[in-house]
Formats: sequence, structure tokens, C-alpha cells
Amino acid sequence: MSATPVNRTPRGRTPYRGATSGSGARRAVRTAAAVLVLAVLLFPLYWMIDIALQPGTGLAATDWFPVHADWGNFRRVLDSQGSSLLTSLLVALGAVAVCLALAAPAAYGLARFRLPGTRTIVFGTLITQMVPGMVIANAVYSSYVDLHLVNTYLGLILADASLGLPFSVVLLRSFMAALPHEVIEAAWVDGANRFTAFLRIVLPMSRNALITCGLFTFLFAWSDFLFALTLNTTDDVKPITLSMYEYMGAHVDDWGAVMATAVLAAVPAAVLLVVAQKYVAAGVSGGALK
Amino acid sequence: MPNPRHTPRPTPGRRRAALLAVASTLTLCAVALTGCAASPDPHTLTVLNSATDTAEHAQNQKFFDRCGAEYGLKVRQTSVPATQVVSKALRMASSHSLTDILELDGSDLPAFAATSGLEPLKPLGVDTAGLSRGALSMGSFQGTFYGIARSVNSLALVYNTDLLARARVPVPRTWDELLSAAKRLTSGKTYGMAFSATPDADGVYQFLPFFWSSGGDEAHLNDLKGAAALNLWKTLISDGSASSAAVTWTQQDVNDQFLAGRAAMMVNGPWQVPALDAQTKIHWAVATIPAPTAGGSTQPPIGGTVMTIPRTGHRDRQALAAKVIDCLNTERNQVAWGEAVNNIPTRTAAAAEYRKDNPKLAGFADAVATARSRTALVGAGWPGVQTALAQAFQSVLTGSAAPERALRRAQASVDAASK
Amino acid sequence: MTTSAPTSTALVPPRPAVRRRPTAAWLRWGFVAPAVVYMAAFFGYPLVRNVLMSFQHYTPKTFFTGSAPFSGLGNWRAVLDNPLLGQALWHTLVFTVGSLAGQFCIGLALAVFFNGRFRLAGFARAVLLLPWLVPMVVSSVVWRKLLDQDTGVVNTALQDVHLAHSPVHWLSSPSLALLSAILVNIWIGIPFNMVILYGGLQEIPREVYEAAALDGAGPWQTFRRVTLPMLRPVITVVLVLGFMSTIKILDLILALTGGGPADSTQTLGTLTYQLSFQSLDFGQGAVVGTLLVAISAVFAVFYLRANRAEFAGEQ
Repeated sequence: MSATPVNRTPRGRTPYRGATSGSGARRAVRTAAAVLVLAVLLFPLYWMIDIALQPGTGLAATDWFPVHADWGNFRRVLDSQGSSLLTSLLVALGAVAVCLALAAPAAYGLARFRLPGTRTIVFGTLITQMVPGMVIANAVYSSYVDLHLVNTYLGLILADASLGLPFSVVLLRSFMAALPHEVIEAAWVDGANRFTAFLRIVLPMSRNALITCGLFTFLFAWSDFLFALTLNTTDDVKPITLSMYEYMGAHVDDWGAVMATAVLAAVPAAVLLVVAQKYVAAGVSGGALK
Repeated sequence: MPNPRHTPRPTPGRRRAALLAVASTLTLCAVALTGCAASPDPHTLTVLNSATDTAEHAQNQKFFDRCGAEYGLKVRQTSVPATQVVSKALRMASSHSLTDILELDGSDLPAFAATSGLEPLKPLGVDTAGLSRGALSMGSFQGTFYGIARSVNSLALVYNTDLLARARVPVPRTWDELLSAAKRLTSGKTYGMAFSATPDADGVYQFLPFFWSSGGDEAHLNDLKGAAALNLWKTLISDGSASSAAVTWTQQDVNDQFLAGRAAMMVNGPWQVPALDAQTKIHWAVATIPAPTAGGSTQPPIGGTVMTIPRTGHRDRQALAAKVIDCLNTERNQVAWGEAVNNIPTRTAAAAEYRKDNPKLAGFADAVATARSRTALVGAGWPGVQTALAQAFQSVLTGSAAPERALRRAQASVDAASK
Repeated sequence: MTTSAPTSTALVPPRPAVRRRPTAAWLRWGFVAPAVVYMAAFFGYPLVRNVLMSFQHYTPKTFFTGSAPFSGLGNWRAVLDNPLLGQALWHTLVFTVGSLAGQFCIGLALAVFFNGRFRLAGFARAVLLLPWLVPMVVSSVVWRKLLDQDTGVVNTALQDVHLAHSPVHWLSSPSLALLSAILVNIWIGIPFNMVILYGGLQEIPREVYEAAALDGAGPWQTFRRVTLPMLRPVITVVLVLGFMSTIKILDLILALTGGGPADSTQTLGTLTYQLSFQSLDFGQGAVVGTLLVAISAVFAVFYLRANRAEFAGEQ
């Protein structure tokens, strides 16, 4: 996004903060409560790491604390799953790009242009969420065979984009419907057509909402198993959700290694989450509230 | 899924058009970073199986390489999770892109054979001499042999020798002995007995040795002969000798409980041997699953995967696939494979050799010798029967139905589905 | 949003440049068309196929031969006669309502809580999203272990603090299994709800709260009279998206209970799966899939009705 006439949202108000005026003691209580909430909600994750650190113990015999922590599982996974992590990353980022490229203009059009059939399209977008994934995957597979998109990055990226598209259209539409019209009008007066106005003004103003949609699409694509399984018949494109099965056999699963994979696979996405957090906070509803 | 208009069978007349289409999509493929597997490589055979597990995948590859080399072939495996093999194979079938060798679970064979999408193996030159009766039955559909198993498994009673010795409990041979042994072995956090009763193929597999031994007939569930087996399971749980969590425990969970010392006996298969061998805390041995009465016999099920050759239309490739399969099933290779994956070879002579080499696993080898195929009676109707049986034991074990009622309802649901 | 629609209508100039009109119409459709085409391909086509399939005799053989004879209402009759259907419908309803209520209430409570400024608030907000990153196959096995009646951490903890004197049969009792599935699904859904609702809270201008404080409103009143109404559009989005992803749930239940024990967690999602991929009757599976879509279509109509004002200017 290049330099723009308006590069920050005009709604730069200070958001309300519940306890800005709280005393130090109250803050400490809140912090303690937060730690408690985290402990309860994140306990299953702790348990995953705990299992990963105790190779060779059956799940029923895992200790509560990894007293004799053994990093073997993590080392093994790091050695063999690097390329799958990279594949996951590439596919998820690609899916984000495709999804946003499709969703942003559509959301704007649906929010602003008063096109005939807007209601139908929004209705359709909501319904699409309901088509069972298996049904989509089966149908997409048969088309992909004809288009030679099976076993390709492009194919998986296109399919994974569908995981975030309806969500993004719904969210961005409600965001863009609330953008102040005057600013966009001003650009028209300056001679910009609708498309350049969209590029130069609407998109930058929607930055936070775009990041939010991008983030969620990334997470949907990152955790996709069904498309990856269906649309690949070789190991050429093998994201981490599939390669995890290298530790799961028909009868016996090596849960320690599976947990280690899951933990390691969560790291890149977690970093992204932390980085994107502040934009997400600001971008979800955007100007929808006034 | 099929769409004949878009995916014409590669008849000679259409082949040129197909080639043209391939050429025109090459550009698309270049954009798409990786390759089009449009025209099969004549020197590479493809296999679809469920060997996702690294060790099993590598083991398979070793044998494929060994046998492929004899014919100047490479073999490429595509491995998907076991629960996904059927849907993956069906999808591939719909786009006429099935692999040269398709390795299915034995219980799925009839459903595939019934589509006429599989080649009979004998005319292709696969040697079936000396295969055990169970293996022949598992690989056959309506009298024709479509799938050969290199090795098979069954179920047996695995017990904790220390716990049994300490409680002075002999290894149970009848159901009555099983009930009383399980009761005596139960103490503190340790159950006398553990089994898996999940509502899926594995739970049903565990139920079958009891169901069949009591005279149960999967084609006539409502003859109520299987009720005794339901009662046995139910009693184990109501006595407190087995955990009511059995309805959610997978066979691996059961093994985990056993290894943690929380179960004195369990029903399980030879695939657990590596896990059992990997530890030294629990001392274990294998016995035949108890029979209903003294002098009676136990009828265990046979399980495992079979290799099939789909009708791909490539006669030459099918012939090569048959040769590779034949090589994988020589006596020597069967024994080596069986030892690699802890399953029992299907050629009787190979099984005997395996039994001699692995005396500790004799219990499993004996079970396989008499084991019965799940699909022998009901063929392609097995999936429906399996679902019904699972519903039956789940409702009995959770106390929501009496055994007789559960079996009548099971037969009714099979009948309704097959209408 | 409620105010923006009329405002923008009023502000739209009387079609600024008449000479640009033809281009503009073409361009306006150009904005929407790619997404519509994409959705038609990736959702519309499968949907239509699924509906067709529900009227076909669709078996494994179909995949090989490509022919699926039409069977009229045969599949529909079989599914409607299936005693499991009623159960599955009821379980789906309970599961969806229970999950949504739990996810939403806890998500909202946490969003309000973390909206305060205190040490760790930002960090905690980010970290709470982690459950979302765990693949379902992994989180469900973890939960299966945590909820195990004999050795699970949950029962151990409950018994240690004397909240339960005998082990709770979370997954093996038909009367509790659905509740357990709901609890796990709530755990999975909290991050999503919290993030979106937190975003909504951030947008509520401070002045509104100051005005409420001047009027002498207490915290609960402020929450009910200010926060909730201001948050309404965001709440709608969260609930709609939550509904859509919850009602068709499959993988969680499949991995947690497999639909058991004794079909007590059988939902429309698992029923489709069972019919299609265990019984290999794809026609009947498609019937249940179509039913799911139809139910959500009804729901979507209600949603659009309720938000009619928003679409008023757009027809």
C-alpha cells in the first residue's frame, strides 16, 4: 500500500479501559486472576508438552511433571519435520493472500454499491459455511484432477483460501459499511475512480480489519487437514497436519512425538499471533460501532 | 467422485485429445510449482496404503525396493491414515487415477470387489498355494480371490504374569474362569481385565472372538446366540472387574493401561508386541482367549491388510504389479515381513517357521491358524453389520438396553439399511 | 452500523459523474464478481452435487463406473425412517446451543476482564489464543486423557478438592458424554470469541462510559446499558459464525467419543460421516448433509430478517 491521503483511521479515539484508574492492589488482584485463568485454560497445552517430554511412557503412565525431561522427541521432530513446517507456512500465507484479494473488494462492493442481489450474495456467503468440508473436498478433488491442480501448491492454496473467505467477507463487509463516506467521496472529487479510491483509501483505512481476517485465515489454513489429505496423492505438498501422521500408525500412535510436533507447529503461528494481536484488537468491529 | 463427462476413460480414440489437454495444462502446472502425474512413469509402480508411520513406511519401502529391483522397477508409496484409505481410494477411482497396487483393510475388500473395480489375482499369476484358509477367505469375494495378505493378525489374551502368580490365579480357559479370575485380580487401581469396546471397527474386532465363540452369527443377529457374549462383557463391567471406560478405550488405550499396571489381563493383538517389548517393568505372556465352556473352542477373527490390483486399464502395469506382489509373498519374504511388523505370515509353512522362531507369540500364531474372516458370511454387507454390532454392545455396556433387545434392534437396523 | 446505513445513503451524491456511469457499473460488478465466482466453484458446485447425490443410488460402485441411478425419494425415506436421525437432531441442537452459550459467555467475560489495564493483560490475551493452534486430532486425544474416569487429571482434581466423591464418567456415561463434548468445544471456541469481542470492546468510545459514570450507573448497569447494546453488531457476527461452525461439528466428536457411548453423542455431522464413510451409502449421507444446509439456511434467513435495517438501502 503506497502513500495515501489518509493513512490512519479517523476513529483514533482512546478506547475505554476498564481499570485505568484502579489502584495498585486491584491491579495485582487482576493479574493474579489472569494467571489463574491462564493456568486453567492452558492446562491441556501444558499436558501436551509434559507428554512430549516423557518418551517411552504410555499415556496412562505419564507423570504430572516431566521430572526426567527428555528432549528426544523435540529433536526428532525438528530434524524431520522442517520441510513440512515450511510447506504449511507457504500454503497458509498463500491462502491469506488469495482470500484477502477476493474478500476485500467483494466486501466493499457488497457494503457500498447497492448492487442488485446483495442480499442473496450475503445469504449465500452465510450458507457456504454450512457445506460439510468432506463434500467440498470431494467435489474440489474431481475438478482438480481435470485442471491438474492435484499435488500442487497452487491447488492447496486456492482450496485453503475457502476456509477463511466467508468469514472475511462477512467481517470486512460490516467494517467497510461503517467507513466514513466523506473521505471516499473526497477522493472521487479528486478524480479517482472507484477502484483507485478503493486501493488508496478504503484498503489503508481497513488495515486492522484486513489483518484480522488475514490472521484468522492463516489459522484456518494452518490447521487444515482435510484439503491437504484430499488434494494430494504424493508427498510433494505435505503440510504439518499431514506429516504428523508419520508418528501415527494404523494401530499404534507415538503420542510423545505427535505432541512434540503439535507444540513445535504452534510456535510460528503463536509468534504471528502475538505480533498481530494489537491490530486484531483494533480491527474486528472497526467502525461498526459508533 | 465420478464425472464421466469431464474425465473420459482413456480409450484409444480419446487418448489424443487427452494428450492435447495435458499439453495445454503444462503451462498451468509450471505455475503450480510441481508436477503433473498425468502420464504414469513406466518404471515406477504406485501403491496406496496406510503406512503413514515412519517405521512402517520405511519397512514397506525396503520390501518394495527389494521386489521391485527384480523387475527393474521403482515403487512409490502413498500413505494415508488408516481411516482414510477407503475414501481416498474411491476418489482416485472416480478420476481413474488409482494406484497400481491398492492395500486395503481386509474388511473393506468386498465393498471394493463388488464394484468390479478389482482384478482377480489368480489369472494374473499370483501364487495362492499354501495360503491359510482364513487368508484365502479374507481375500475373496463371491469365490474369487482379489486380495492377498502378506501377514495377518488376530486377538489373544495378554496377561501380566506377576499379577497372576501373586494372586495364584491360573490363566483362565473358560468364561467362568475368566470372570472369577478378573474379579480376583481386581484390586485398588488395577482392573482384572481390559478390553476395547469403542463404537468402531476396532471395538467390533474385539467383540468378535466372544460373539463367535458363543455361537453368534453375523448374518442373523436376532437368533440371539450372541447375547451370551454381550452378557459376559456386561458382567465384567458390572462386577467392577473391567472399567466402564472400555466403551471409550481404543486398543492402544487398553495397552497403555496394561503397561501402566492397571490391568492384569487384556485382549489385544500382536501389533502391541513392540510396545510390550520396549519396557521391562511388566512381565507378560500370551494365551488363547477363553472359550465359553470347558472343552469348547474359541473363534478369533482374522485381521490385516490385503494387496489388490485395481482395474486401471493398463494391462502391462497390472502384470508387473502382480509380479511384485508375488515376490512379496514368497515364504522367505513373508516370514521376514511378519517378523518386521509382528504379524503372522499367511502361508502355512511360513507361519510354522514364524511360530518356531517366536515361541512367545505362539498364542497369536495359534489364533491366526483358526481365525475367521469378518466378511466371509455377509460380504459387502459387513460395514452395516459392524455398525449394528457396535451399537448393540455399546447400548448393553452403558445399560441402555438388554442384550436380547440390543441384538434384535441391531438386526432390524441392518435389514432397514439393506432395503 | 444501525446509524451508518441511513447516513451513507444520505451522503451518496447524486451520481457524481454521469459520463462515467457505464464504466462504473462494470467496475462495481468487477469488485464482487471474483469472490462470487470463487464461492460458486468452491461452495456452490459441491452443494448442488450434494443435493443431487441425495436423490441418487450412490455407492462405491459409482466411483468406478460413474453412473449413479436416480432413486427418487428412496434415500430421504430411509434417512427419515432411521431412528438415529431424531436423536442426532436433538444432540446437534443441544450441542450447538450449549457450545455457543458457553463460548460466548466465557469469551465475553474474558474480553471484559482483559480489557482492563494490568500487568500481563496483553500477554495473556495473546497466549489465550494458543488452544486454537493445536490440531483437533491432538487436542481431542489430550482431552480424552484429561477426562479419563480412572486416571484423568480432571477427576483426580475434583476428588482432591472433594467436589466429587466417586469418579465422574465423563466420556463413558451416555448422560454425560454430550456434556463433555460441549465442554471441550467451549474450550476450543473461547479464544475466537474472546478476540473478536475484545476487538469490539476496544471500539466503544470512552466518552460513552464517562457519560454513564456521570449518570451514576454502576458497573453492572454500565455493562447492560452501554457495553451490550454497543457491542450488538459484533455479538451478531460472533454468534452467526459460531453457529455455522458448531452445527456441522464432526472431527471433535469423532475423535472424542466416535458418536458413542450408545450413540449419545451422535450428531448430524457424525451421522453423515457414518452413513457415507462407514456404511458407504453416500446417497443417504448426502441427505443428512443437505438437511444440515437446509437448517442453516433457515437460520440465515432469520439472521437477515433481524438485520433487515442494515440491508434496507441495498436492494
